[in-house]
Amino acid sequence: MEYVFHIIIMLNIYIMLTLSANLTIGMANLLTMCQAAFYGIGAYIGTFFLMQFNLPFLLVAALVMLFTGAFSFLVSFASVRLKDDYFVIATMGFQLIVYTILYNWTDVTRGPYGIPGIPGIRLFGMFELTGVYAYLVLSLVLMAVVVFLFHHLVESPFGRVLNAIRADEITVKSMGRNIVKFKSLAFFLSAAVAGLAGIIYASYVSYIDPTSFTLDESIFILSALFIGGIGNTKGPVLGAVFVVLLPELLRFVGLPDSVAANLRQIIYGLALILVMYYRPQGLLGKTIMK
Amino acid sequence: MIWQFVINGLITGILYSLLAIGFALVFNTTKIFHIAAAGIYVFAAYMFWFFVASVGLPVIPASLVALVLTMLLSLLTEVLIYRPLKNKKASLNVAMIASIGAMTVIINTIAMFFGNETKVIDNSILQPLTFGDIIITSPQKYQALIGITVLIIFMVLLQRTNWGLRLRALSADETLFETLGYDTKKTRVLVFLVSGVFIALASCLTVYDVGLDPNMGMNVLISAVVAMIIGGVGRFSTCILGGLTLGVLQSLTVYHFASNWQNAVTFLVLIILLFLRPQGIAGYKQRTV
Repeated sequence: MEYVFHIIIMLNIYIMLTLSANLTIGMANLLTMCQAAFYGIGAYIGTFFLMQFNLPFLLVAALVMLFTGAFSFLVSFASVRLKDDYFVIATMGFQLIVYTILYNWTDVTRGPYGIPGIPGIRLFGMFELTGVYAYLVLSLVLMAVVVFLFHHLVESPFGRVLNAIRADEITVKSMGRNIVKFKSLAFFLSAAVAGLAGIIYASYVSYIDPTSFTLDESIFILSALFIGGIGNTKGPVLGAVFVVLLPELLRFVGLPDSVAANLRQIIYGLALILVMYYRPQGLLGKTIMK
Repeated sequence: MIWQFVINGLITGILYSLLAIGFALVFNTTKIFHIAAAGIYVFAAYMFWFFVASVGLPVIPASLVALVLTMLLSLLTEVLIYRPLKNKKASLNVAMIASIGAMTVIINTIAMFFGNETKVIDNSILQPLTFGDIIITSPQKYQALIGITVLIIFMVLLQRTNWGLRLRALSADETLFETLGYDTKKTRVLVFLVSGVFIALASCLTVYDVGLDPNMGMNVLISAVVAMIIGGVGRFSTCILGGLTLGVLQSLTVYHFASNWQNAVTFLVLIILLFLRPQGIAGYKQRTV
């Protein structure tokens, strides 16, 4: 049963990640390749707070979201000046710089050795959450909150402005909306939720190292998002379900481990190509990337 | 000592230039952000390794076979992915995401057959050249000689032949190109074949020196793309300028700091450049980047 719970927890983390990526990619048409960087920043900052201070979880989560969100301004700053492919390469750059810093700044991050023994989350500062059940409940609740939030965000005034920016940026500008403000806010929220996923991951696995937050991870999140679909809530959720459950299904087929890892990547890649050809909005998505 | 690093940087820069041109051939003409090039790069490396180490061919025939196979794979990405998407009028971002899928498929297929560990091609018996206190290893000698020759031939062909003119015309304005009665489809086939040549050359020359593993493609491709942007997008000669600049810059980073900060410095320079001079060192001026 713990095995099933573990999968559900990872699924919840990936649902948060794909939803956070959807906010900028699917709704504002800003193709970012640095979601894993925010995920990593969240995990490392969260680890810092968990290991140094004895704070209640809600406070740690709020701090992590705030700090991770602050890092997003670096990216949203770039999005104002750079368009299309230049923006993509700039976000890739951000991702690689964050990875390089996490890997090489050994005094703070312990670099490739990683940080072991991350303590569990303290709810209201009193009892420590440990064990798979606690994280199951916690991640389910947070996932539900995020899904609820993003579901309503799509039809909210904020979501509609983002949608309008996606459709025609210049018209929105001429209507007197501050595009920079809306884009920055979208990036902030997106990074904050990715950071939240990061701290849950760090605390649940209780060990982090930079190799969980690489460019490949960003591309993986992107693949999940685009297979599932962009522009609404059910698309990204389906994408996360697909990429998290597929390896488990392949496990039951009984392939050797070395082949299975590569085979599932091949399946993701093929799925991505086929989806882009037959259904560019994704399996359950609403909008198509321009 | 510093000149050794400059020379190393220049030779690395030649390799970046080759890959940057391989990427720019596709990017300038089709405007697709050709991430699958990373997969094609890895494919070329493994074919080269396979024919040298497993089949036992000498280095030159093996690299030629790898070259031809890589050209075919490059053409396959066009025929199987980009062309159908173009016929469906899919946007460039959609093509790019499909390209990511193609890269994933290629790299993992290779990893499945050949394993994930690092491999090397034996080049140990060759004597290095020395000029004073500068040492040029034998693989570096080949990299420089072949690289420079190919770049010169390409530049001459690009400027002096009808073929080169078409290529430049297609990268300048596709609609006009078609309006004047040229066949975009045929020209694109050519573009992808030549792109395959450059990717294969960059790949074979690099792995002959430093070895290969299935995950090396993305990092090298990103460096090449950065080289292309530093030089200036929209032309081909600028790739060489950018490649050499980036090569020397990375090498000097190693000299002054350490090799593990290379990527961070590369991107800092790129981002600063994008803000201050978005068209690159010698690119065409554009209204928006």
